[in-house]
Amino acid sequence: MGNSFFAYIQKLELLAFFSGYSLLCAIILIFAGNNESGNNLRKRTVFILPLSYALVGTLYLGLQLKNFYLSYSSGNIRPAIHLSYLMVWGLLSILFWIPSLRKRPSLSLLHNLVFFFILVKDMILQISSSVDGNILKNDMRMYTVSFLLNLSAFILIVLLSFVVSRRRIRYK
Amino acid sequence: MKLLNNKTLGLIAIILISGYGYIASCTHKDLIIPEPATGTIIITRGDGIFLPGTETIGDTSQWKMDKSHSSVLWSSAYLETGGLLTGRFNKFGLNSLSSSARQLYVSTGQPVLDTSWAFYESDPSKSYFSGYVQMNTSNTGEPGRDGGCYLGYVGAPKIISGTQNLMDSNVVVIRTTKIEFDTKSSGYIVTMVMSWKGLLSALHDTTVNGTLSYVKRSTVGEGTAAAYGQFGLQLNFQFNCRSFGITTDEISDIVNVQCNMNFNNK
Repeated sequence: MGNSFFAYIQKLELLAFFSGYSLLCAIILIFAGNNESGNNLRKRTVFILPLSYALVGTLYLGLQLKNFYLSYSSGNIRPAIHLSYLMVWGLLSILFWIPSLRKRPSLSLLHNLVFFFILVKDMILQISSSVDGNILKNDMRMYTVSFLLNLSAFILIVLLSFVVSRRRIRYK
Repeated sequence: MKLLNNKTLGLIAIILISGYGYIASCTHKDLIIPEPATGTIIITRGDGIFLPGTETIGDTSQWKMDKSHSSVLWSSAYLETGGLLTGRFNKFGLNSLSSSARQLYVSTGQPVLDTSWAFYESDPSKSYFSGYVQMNTSNTGEPGRDGGCYLGYVGAPKIISGTQNLMDSNVVVIRTTKIEFDTKSSGYIVTMVMSWKGLLSALHDTTVNGTLSYVKRSTVGEGTAAAYGQFGLQLNFQFNCRSFGITTDEISDIVNVQCNMNFNNK
């Protein structure tokens, strides 16, 4: 990461959108995995996870489009992007709208672990005392926000899938 | 999904790492923080008592005004709206100037004793002072002005060489009527009566308020045989010169005065 304020802001943005997904994923996979009597429910909730991830990625794309509003030219955008690889990696989450990809929740978790490891890196740096403790505090605030955002996206997708499945049953 | 189920430990690790992150970043906002400051200003005053006595040289219990290291400064906006026009008075003293003392003195030193004052650091009700300036000794650094038009503007007589004029027409006298603690600083609030004839037909009294600062006592040349004590008082106030019949528009209505008085016990 470039040592600039704007790069740090972009890192926080990425953390705010994506870092909480791995925790949500871990919790749901563990609980769904222990649900012996609800295989269908388990499958449904687990397969909804990539969709909620794609929704968060789409929201992130919306934020970036809003940030660069009225300056959509490579000459204007390029200097304003400090974490291009991470941003592109985050935007790749939109691909989980594609049916063939969304059937593989493990892939979304693997994709998301990149952002989780940013958090882990800051924790390790704080343990070695080479970084200000406020950075981890900020990271964890973003982590909490991200978890809530991903949880909200997940609940929204669950509700939508519930409505869609009810309609399908009705029209069958 | 089998892969993930087999990696339950990995998932638990994610949760544990997240938990560690929250613990490590704990801001301790639940700690009881000290109560905020009350905003009360704590002022520590000493118990110094300074009295003039009879100005006996060598009596260290008697404090003398150090005329050569003191000053009375005035300032007012030039042409009522411009920058400050400033000056000082060359002749001044600390005496109430009773009616019998108001005369022409053939002297170059202090014409009367500077003994009309007392200062109690912690008991301002006992403090008082009276002071005067000789109006015709204003010094702005422009002799032509100081000995010329200025005298007409303030109604002061010309200087007679070798004399000091303490007559009503040439002196402004202030005398305190009340000195009290300033609750917002280590200084004092002073209420005074200012007495001056100016361009009026008779002496005119007006009440003015000012602030008094005490510069703590210190010892000069400590450890030597010639050591002596010193302290300072600074008085700031302003008055409306129109109250005394001054009509010139060279200066503003409001005149600021600063008196810097140094005392020693030599």
